[in-house]
Amino acid sequence: MRFLRAAAAEVVGLFVGDWAQTLVSVAILALGWLVLSRVHLEGLAFVVAVGLAAQLVYATTLEARQRARGSH
Amino acid sequence: MGAQLLTFGAAFLGSAVESVEALTIVLAVGLTRGWRAPLLGTISALVLLGLLVGIFGQLIVTRVPELTLKLIIGTLIVLFGLRWLHKAVLRSAGVVAMHDENRAYAQTIESLSGDHKKTDWIGFTLALKGVFLEGLEVVFIVIAVGGTSGGIGVAVAGGLLAMVVVAGAGVIIRQPLAQVPENTLKYAVGIILTSLGTFWAAEGMGATWPLDFVSVLGIAAIYFGASRVAVTLIKRPVMA
Repeated sequence: MRFLRAAAAEVVGLFVGDWAQTLVSVAILALGWLVLSRVHLEGLAFVVAVGLAAQLVYATTLEARQRARGSH
Repeated sequence: MGAQLLTFGAAFLGSAVESVEALTIVLAVGLTRGWRAPLLGTISALVLLGLLVGIFGQLIVTRVPELTLKLIIGTLIVLFGLRWLHKAVLRSAGVVAMHDENRAYAQTIESLSGDHKKTDWIGFTLALKGVFLEGLEVVFIVIAVGGTSGGIGVAVAGGLLAMVVVAGAGVIIRQPLAQVPENTLKYAVGIILTSLGTFWAAEGMGATWPLDFVSVLGIAAIYFGASRVAVTLIKRPVMA
């Protein structure tokens, strides 16, 4: 049972580290879906990549700041 | 051809990283308690993982419509890749300690000492659990990358080759593979997977990319640039 629980936690952990960050990523993808399914402009999908990249910068710098505060 | 190469590369590198971690556990158990039980545990875990790849790989390739598959699996690969990239950025910036195979190996050895009189189930279970749990990531990478690109065979070959190479190196040196630049590999695989995931998820949403698969290089440049910006921002003196 403990093994199954560890396996289930491992599977969820593959995709989710921080729930807030995951939800923001999913929201960016959902917004991208909404736009891209209606506006068929070649290359527009790069905006989704830029959004996700910006989210990566924000989430990592935020975590670094929180860790720095916690260690002081 | 480019897509097949990327599929093979992503499966190979991702599997190599996880295989190093699994090898560390198996070596620690084998050298401490003898080889029979951990090898049986490893074989059992590999059979279970092979079944997962066979069942889910087949189901995904044959049952799910192509665009739905690209959207769902692409989204999952993005989340998976961003998680690796997030950790890689924090490690590169010195916020999180680098993964140290020697230390992981020493900790496993220490946790096993004094347990020799118990049955060998401990060695079997530890190896089974270690290989299975580390292998779940390999299974996901192989199924996701192979299933979405239509090259499941290529992805399985990449994953298997990585496991053989890492296991062979482990047999030869009989020590944890601390020289493998695991953090750098995870950084690279994080960028490759996030880029592939974004490419496929967007295609699943109905988008078209200029120059088709070549766009993956542009997406990778965006993620690499962003990760370097993040490392630079974190290392700024004001944040230290």
